[in-house]
Amino acid sequence: MIGNDIVDLALAAKQSNWRRKGWLQKIFTVSEQDKILNALDPDLTVWKLWSMKEAAYKAYQRQFFKAPTYNPWDFECSETSVIVKGMQYKTKTTITSEYIHSVAFIDQKEIVTKVFVNESLSYKKHLLDYISKTKLLNSEKITIKKNDFRIPFVYINNLQSDIQVSFSSHGLFSSYVVDLSENLQRV
Amino acid sequence: MTKEELLSKLKTIIEPYVQNEDGLANLSEETNFIEDLEINSANLVDVILDVEDEFNIEIDNDGMDKMLTVKASIEVIQDKLAAK
Repeated sequence: MIGNDIVDLALAAKQSNWRRKGWLQKIFTVSEQDKILNALDPDLTVWKLWSMKEAAYKAYQRQFFKAPTYNPWDFECSETSVIVKGMQYKTKTTITSEYIHSVAFIDQKEIVTKVFVNESLSYKKHLLDYISKTKLLNSEKITIKKNDFRIPFVYINNLQSDIQVSFSSHGLFSSYVVDLSENLQRV
Repeated sequence: MTKEELLSKLKTIIEPYVQNEDGLANLSEETNFIEDLEINSANLVDVILDVEDEFNIEIDNDGMDKMLTVKASIEVIQDKLAAK
């Protein structure tokens, strides 16, 4: 199970005033709020924890076929994992001066992740090309469709495959994570 | 407050966060904030805080959990107003 989330730091600073009264309390647990307010860089900490929660939310939603909900406080972050309703997801976060990118997963097999700049319209195509190369399949046979819960699935010859993917896009940045370890026997 | 008044107030609240103007022009009860209006998920908190201020209500976790569509938001607001 995988999920990922990217935050464009410049855009986040413009879009959200996390210092607004009540904002932190609606999203973060008490201990997360403490962590943010005592951090050397509170802005970075807000978006780091946010991206971890979002990445874990996507992994959790995929794992249990959950309808979309808005319950960020249910996702409790520690240093490199997120726990939601007893389920633990490991997380790996990359922080640069321009973006924060988090990946959530249960077991690391063949997870591949990539971040793009200025490719929000084409990064999904890049993933299709990557799958096609790795699995030696004609890229025209591979498509991505979202189910009713907006969870993306990879289809090969119009049959749903076990390949897990997650997409994220914010401002200048886009990212995907893909787990190719599942077998393709069904197709 | 009628449903129409409520919808009109809600529309004013969400407008600053909408990134898909077509979605706003076609606003209906079925409109999904993230999918149809492309509201950034971090801005949903601002929508909820603005709703609290505008209607003078407090939205708890159970209410917030559902507030991803116009329909669900109206239901949550109506419930909270009725409980005042």
